[in-house]
Amino acid sequence: MRTRWMAQFWRMAAMAVLAAAVAQAQAPAPKPAHTPPLYTHWINYTAANGFPAGEVYCVTVDGNRVWAGTSHGLVLIENGRIRKVFTPADGLAGRVVMSVAVDHKTGSVWAATFGGLSRYSGGQFTNYTNLSSGLANDLVYAVAVQGRYVWAATAAGVSRLNTYTGDWTIYNELNSPFEEPWAYAIAVGEGKMYFGLWGGGVLVYDLAGHYWRPYTDPDESMEIVLYRNQGLIHNIVSSVAYNPGTKMFWAGTYFGLSGYDGRDWHNYLTKDSGLVSNFINGVQSRGEMVWAATQQGLSELDTKTNTWVTYRPANWAALDAAKAKEAERGEILITGPHGRKTRLETATSLAHNYILNVAFEGRDIWVATADGLSHGILQSEREEGNHESAAKRR
Amino acid sequence: MRGASAATIALFLLASPAWSQTAPPQKGASAPPVAMPYANMPKAAVPYGRFRKPYYEWYVQPNTMAYDGSARLEPDPLLSSLRAINIGFLGPLDADNPDSQYGIPMLHGAQLAIAEANAGGGYRGKPFALEIHDDLPLWGASSMEIVRMRYDQHAWGMLGSVDSASTHIELRAALKIELPIVDTATNDPTVTETRIQWLLHNFPDDRQQGYALADYIFNQRKLRHVGILRTTNRYGRRGTEEFFNAARRMGFPPVVMEKYAPGATDFSLQLDTLKTLGLDGLVIWGDAGEAGRILKQMRAMGMRQPVFGGSRVVYPEMLKIAGPAANGFVAIAAMDPDRSDPRWQAFRRHYVARFHTEPDAYASYAYDGMNILIAAIRQAGLNRARIMDALRGYEMKRYEGVSGTAFFDYTLNNIAPVTFATVKDGHFVYWPERRTDWKGKEPAFMK
Repeated sequence: MRTRWMAQFWRMAAMAVLAAAVAQAQAPAPKPAHTPPLYTHWINYTAANGFPAGEVYCVTVDGNRVWAGTSHGLVLIENGRIRKVFTPADGLAGRVVMSVAVDHKTGSVWAATFGGLSRYSGGQFTNYTNLSSGLANDLVYAVAVQGRYVWAATAAGVSRLNTYTGDWTIYNELNSPFEEPWAYAIAVGEGKMYFGLWGGGVLVYDLAGHYWRPYTDPDESMEIVLYRNQGLIHNIVSSVAYNPGTKMFWAGTYFGLSGYDGRDWHNYLTKDSGLVSNFINGVQSRGEMVWAATQQGLSELDTKTNTWVTYRPANWAALDAAKAKEAERGEILITGPHGRKTRLETATSLAHNYILNVAFEGRDIWVATADGLSHGILQSEREEGNHESAAKRR
Repeated sequence: MRGASAATIALFLLASPAWSQTAPPQKGASAPPVAMPYANMPKAAVPYGRFRKPYYEWYVQPNTMAYDGSARLEPDPLLSSLRAINIGFLGPLDADNPDSQYGIPMLHGAQLAIAEANAGGGYRGKPFALEIHDDLPLWGASSMEIVRMRYDQHAWGMLGSVDSASTHIELRAALKIELPIVDTATNDPTVTETRIQWLLHNFPDDRQQGYALADYIFNQRKLRHVGILRTTNRYGRRGTEEFFNAARRMGFPPVVMEKYAPGATDFSLQLDTLKTLGLDGLVIWGDAGEAGRILKQMRAMGMRQPVFGGSRVVYPEMLKIAGPAANGFVAIAAMDPDRSDPRWQAFRRHYVARFHTEPDAYASYAYDGMNILIAAIRQAGLNRARIMDALRGYEMKRYEGVSGTAFFDYTLNNIAPVTFATVKDGHFVYWPERRTDWKGKEPAFMK
């Protein structure tokens, strides 16, 4: 009896030692100083829980509603639950939804689709196409609401709808300084509109003065970046964002990241920063932070400390090669101002490493990925304290 | 006996279809990067090459076209649920569209490749089917065709187009809807300079043509004061850009660039200006009919300068219109149709038998491009990302086709040496490009 009790005691003791060792091995590395708060918990909406499979091109937050544009329609998430997937059968102009904008005055939801522009209001869709309206082309990549106007970036120029009068204006190479008429992205600034152009850099339209100002790659060569902070890094601009706090605009390209503060350019490549990939699908900025949605993860730059944080699945390479079907643990890569790198792991992960865009809900972040939508929650101060304690214990 | 065997082999070579459908090369994960200038650029034409090394150079790394998306995770469809393996085609076909002179041969080349693939068993017993879409001349009017191909017709890849604007529009959409494109006809070099991972291009582009022409004019012919006469359309605008930049960097900036509307017939206004400038030579970037009229009117005005052109000029129409005024004219040809190699001759015979006309460059590159796409589908299966992976297997590798030998760089663009054509006694005579900066007859990567 005593022998059995002793054996059980030693077995439990051995298990406790083993558990402690495993816990120590899994405890996150210490977070370097100057690191911004980290997103350590991810809730994913994927085919596994009723979300449409495949690409999520965009995400927009409107109070307790989240709108996601996917390759299978427009998804409405309300209070964290999938409420509806709108498809062309419901009246949506096209199944591929590239961008969503909410008119906070009217409550109308505007969707840029490969099939035209849709307005969702009062439970019904109204569609605008090249044949039925002043929309320049039915391949619509971006939509933005600016006061009474709705702006749409299309494959044949930028269209503007005056929602009060119903009048349309088209801006293209015939009446504006477009090198090429292909528009990709729109951002609303303070008295200005920012357009990301395919092959034409960034075009800024002054709303009061009705004039344009182009920003293009000064070396005029597709194949090189001549100087690091030469000006816009490349003319093929995939995304644009305006930050009212810093008064800066940011351009995401498939050739790195560019920011302009009104005097200097701030360019980033993987070779000189913590940016995880030069192939940037989307860019956002608020406060001192800039987020680059790249094909190898979501990179966040703290412009104040020049610290980069990248989020992606720890098994991203296996996902890419289709050797894993879903993301498992998350990976956080921190690159300090002097290039020092730290890697942390989290129990949950972004749904995929191929990131298309992001949006914010208070302190939370929503991330559109190539295989689902992810909701990121910041590490709480208490949790952070625990991590630090764990580090100190070691 | 040996003679009989040789005859049998020769008969087989001549009788077989062009048999270009070999499997794409496997991309070696550990293949060492190949160090070479982007696009086989002459040293003298490197941007800012005389002043400084760039902070960063694109398109010269093996990961230039790396794709990290999720499309490889899509399950293959049940083969028994498919009636055919659909492939999209976008090209200018309407007779009212001037570009249909390129689009119709392109369609025929693609159709011949499909027919031969189906005769060879299709894809695991299922036939390949071409879903044909007309590329309209109005800017952006055909933009939705690629969306229809992808979602309505469930195409596994597509071929197209001629017009560079349409091709760019397809390409941008392809990045989002993930459909492999094999482009066999546009001259626009920027199509492969976007880093979008969904396109392979095999037609000699205007960057390659511009470098070849600049080297020939300034280094071999030693001309110095050259002018340009081009169409105002996108083909003319983009096409002359690379020649213009190369000439400028080599130290011989073109003296003047005159323009005309597409389809123009009277060039007296432009030629009056050019005549006063005492040019050493003139470069025309336009279509064959326009070039024929320009040559005729130039010579009638007493302008005797040598004249050069891009690949769209090398057509019998130019010879017919210009007559004796064409003699001595030199242009880049997209391929050499006088080659005697059995692959080309077999294709030519089959093409003539089916379409009752000689194949041109657009037919040949489309045939090769379709064969490349079909081979990629056969190798990869019915998954668009894996099909594109198979196409990426051609990075830094050669492809022997009916149009000649292609060599694909890290952007999946064909940078093989181009062909020259000159007019002698009313006929085109062809010769291979021999650039002065090459050690030998070919660049090192072709050996």
